Amino acid sequence: MRIVTKAFLRYLPRRRGLSTLQLLGIACGVAATIGMVLSAQAALSSFERAVEFLKGRATHKLTRPAGPVEETVVLGLMQDPGVKAFSPVIDRTVILQDGGTARFLGVDPFLDQAIRPELITSRASMSNGSTREAALSFLLEEAAVFTDDELAARLRVRPGEMFQTSHGGLLLQGTFPSPSGEPLILSDISNAQLRFGLRGMVDRVELILSDPEGFRSRWNTGFVLESAGQQRAALSDMLRAFRLNLEALSLLALFVGVFLVYNTAMFAVVSRRKEAGILLSLGASRREVLLAFLTEILLLGAAGGLLGSVIGYLLGCFLTGLVGETISKLYFFVQPVPPGWSWWVCLYGAMMGMGASLLGGALPLKELARVDPVRILQGRGASRFQGKQARRAALWGSGMLAVSLVLVVAAEVHVYLGFAGSFALLLGASLLSGQVLIWLEPWLNLFLRSLGGVAGKLAAGTICRNLGRTAVAVAAFMVALSMTIGLGSMIGSFRETLVWWMDSQLKGDLYIAPTREIQVPEGFYEELRALPGIGGLDPYRNTQLLYRGTPVYVSSVDAKVLQRYTKFGWLQGGNENWDLVRQGEVIVSESFSRRFKVRAGQEILLDGIRGPSRLRVAAIFFDYTTEHGLIMMDRSKYLELFGDRTIDSLVVFLDPDLPGRREILQDVVRRAQVWGLPVATQGEFHAQILEFFDSTFAVTRSMRIIAVVVAFFGIAGALLTLFMERQRDFGIYRALGFSTSRVASMTLMEGLGMGLVSYALSVAVGTALAWVLIYVINLRSFNWTVFFHFNWGPYLITWATATIGSLAAAVYPIWRVWRTYPQMQIREE
Amino acid sequence: MTSIIRVEDLWKRYDGREDGEQGAAALRGTHMEIRAGEIVAIYGRSGSGKTTLLNILAGLDRPTRGLVWVEGRELDSLGDKGRAEFRRLRLGFIFQFFNLLPTLTAFENVYLSLELAGRPVPGLAREALRSVGLEGKADRYPHELSGGEQQRVAIARAVVKGPSIILADEPTGNLDTHTADQVLGILAARCRESGTTLVMATHSPRASSVADRVLRMEDGLILAEESIVGSGH
Repeated sequence: MRIVTKAFLRYLPRRRGLSTLQLLGIACGVAATIGMVLSAQAALSSFERAVEFLKGRATHKLTRPAGPVEETVVLGLMQDPGVKAFSPVIDRTVILQDGGTARFLGVDPFLDQAIRPELITSRASMSNGSTREAALSFLLEEAAVFTDDELAARLRVRPGEMFQTSHGGLLLQGTFPSPSGEPLILSDISNAQLRFGLRGMVDRVELILSDPEGFRSRWNTGFVLESAGQQRAALSDMLRAFRLNLEALSLLALFVGVFLVYNTAMFAVVSRRKEAGILLSLGASRREVLLAFLTEILLLGAAGGLLGSVIGYLLGCFLTGLVGETISKLYFFVQPVPPGWSWWVCLYGAMMGMGASLLGGALPLKELARVDPVRILQGRGASRFQGKQARRAALWGSGMLAVSLVLVVAAEVHVYLGFAGSFALLLGASLLSGQVLIWLEPWLNLFLRSLGGVAGKLAAGTICRNLGRTAVAVAAFMVALSMTIGLGSMIGSFRETLVWWMDSQLKGDLYIAPTREIQVPEGFYEELRALPGIGGLDPYRNTQLLYRGTPVYVSSVDAKVLQRYTKFGWLQGGNENWDLVRQGEVIVSESFSRRFKVRAGQEILLDGIRGPSRLRVAAIFFDYTTEHGLIMMDRSKYLELFGDRTIDSLVVFLDPDLPGRREILQDVVRRAQVWGLPVATQGEFHAQILEFFDSTFAVTRSMRIIAVVVAFFGIAGALLTLFMERQRDFGIYRALGFSTSRVASMTLMEGLGMGLVSYALSVAVGTALAWVLIYVINLRSFNWTVFFHFNWGPYLITWATATIGSLAAAVYPIWRVWRTYPQMQIREE
Repeated sequence: MTSIIRVEDLWKRYDGREDGEQGAAALRGTHMEIRAGEIVAIYGRSGSGKTTLLNILAGLDRPTRGLVWVEGRELDSLGDKGRAEFRRLRLGFIFQFFNLLPTLTAFENVYLSLELAGRPVPGLAREALRSVGLEGKADRYPHELSGGEQQRVAIARAVVKGPSIILADEPTGNLDTHTADQVLGILAARCRESGTTLVMATHSPRASSVADRVLRMEDGLILAEESIVGSGH
């Protein structure tokens, strides 16, 4: 290695503390991105594995448009020339004794052998040699089931032992290995039918078709035939908006990370400037000096990237659980296995670290290329970023804000433009930071002087006259804080909107079986209908079907009851809209209307049990249950269309001034308990929804914390850079009699001042970001309107974060002051 | 003897403010001629323009007006690349504050000069250190050496590549009298042995005493050629 390069590289171990700080900065930026990418990949591959495993060799599945299929279709399938093999399946979810859930599959072991031979073979092989007895028990014993190995281990049950579920006790016959990660319970189909009250019905039939097109032509009325590819695509499509938002979040963290790398590289330039001057005076070319510096920042980037990849991997393992949990709650069950370690992760991390170093190091490299050896050797610093540059940057920033506005307006075309608009907003505001520091100088001076006297006054001057260092750190911190305010305000507004929606729409007194795992037997519904005193009963059914080839939801309700007891949020009109629903029309959610561009008065075409049906859309209502679109109709219409009598939950309404109200409710609860059905009051149900809502933002919160941590290193780096650069000034302060504690307090004031300016900027930028997130990103991604509700919470939390973060960032620089200031001279040597 | 350095009507003004208004002139029409192998001291008070003149002679800085010929070539016409090559191959520079690279050992600091000159021969670096009396201290870092020793490393770094000119800016300005005498002795001896031209900026009469000629500088102008030793300072 050339001596010039060696001279630069040896700084890294010599200044261990600083190198570690720089390294951690890069590592955090890389870790955030790798963590998010790995967790998203793990969730997706788990989803793919589960789909592949459960699909087996099936090429298609046959279902009714909504609800279960009559068992009698099997006879038709047996005679159909296009069918090579088929297997009817019951596919439900049960709640386990430990509170978790499991997928309950009921299959015909003989028919299913053609679809999932591996499962059947492994299941038999796991029955400890007594294959015949186990197989017989599986068929004859009503409670007999097999589970996957992990589930049996988790429940601590062994073959021959019983375990409890929401649908009664089950007897474990044996276990089988499952690569899907999803807890699985396997039962004989007839036993499953009994258990779920589905006598004569199955949920779907899985098929191996030799002539799909011919088969489709014969089964095109009242049935839905989906190929394996279509199923996978439909499920992936459901995750599209969710994935897009995750990716945007990790990009925001990386965005903050690039600022940090800039700061880190600028810090390295400040420390190496004198060496560069000496080398140039000895005859080294600028190219050689730049190459040496480039080697240093690339090595630092690679090392930071390597460390970041390890931290990112661990973060990925942590986030995998959160991402999986969120997907499971919002869409469908996934239980992602934490990503396996691979040395490729290191390679990607190192590449990303080096790439970020190059990107963030471009401007510092430019500064180093311009180093004037004469000025440097005379002990004068490089010309500092001052008013003129700040004004120029502010002009660019204003231009960028104008671009942001255009992009936000153009987001109507595609949500990506909305995301680009948010980034442009943050970038534009970042470019304004220098000019804002100049504008705020008198106020900052006043504030810091009142706090720390002369030290505060000097600190304000330092912040506002070293814009090349401070403006970037302020911008990085501002971006992170804006994210906190923006996301916090968005989540807060969403929560408030949800509360408004629940208060207007979910007004039942009791919710019976509100969880999706348990259905309400029709007998119980009839029993309650006969009960005197009950004002209204809403037998709610919610199921997925395909509309224009994409999955949407359809709900059946009792329109008369809802008209009387609820006050839906309508885009147009009021509760009189229910009159049309009672006459056979449907109402659609705002997300459905926006997604498929369907307006009130138009007709939609739905495939029903007797073929396609035209339904007039009576009105559009606000809904936050699904972003994929919801069609709501009266139960009578639903039964007519789909013949599906399933009731997912039952909502009980009582008149408010009814005498004996409490007793009636207690009676309903008691009766529900007899049927083994869980009951929630309105308050409990609302609380469950809010808890669910809060838990789905766990990933968002994690990314917000990571962005703040990344920005924290940015502030610490800027303070250190300032400290390094002003060694001569410190010598003068010392000569003038400034005590160590006063210089330390000045450094603290600098940190605080930068934190406060960052906060002041982030209040405006964060609010604008919240507005973009609510009215552009959310609307375009999820097709629903969230109403902006001002909430002090995010602003106060961000203020506390800014204050604590900036003060904490000053700790290490202050330690350096205590250690080195007492020895400082005016001249460095 | 032919002239190795020739300076004609050299001016240097520094921009004073951001608005581009011209600041004070560090050099104001300086003329000078130095012959090959000479040891010349440029003597003057602080701020008289000595360092600026040396920086321009080294091609580190460019004059506002005027011409500088070094070894028959006009320095400004060489371009940035040519001037860097000139410093790498033909020039040695010694600073008041030594300016050794703190992350390199004494040996590496000297070897760096050879590497830049395209002659990476470790033996030459060791020999240069021996010639300034630093054998046995080759592996020490600058902070492990005294001021005098650091300046001797700087001398070794300047002479090791066999330059035709050595420019020394206050080479003893940061040393005590005894050490300064030692350093000056070594520097002058090495230059005389190898026939290297030494141009030394100084405000010390003692430093000027080793020079063949002393050029007095004041307010950016070389005023007179004089013998400091003879003038009784």
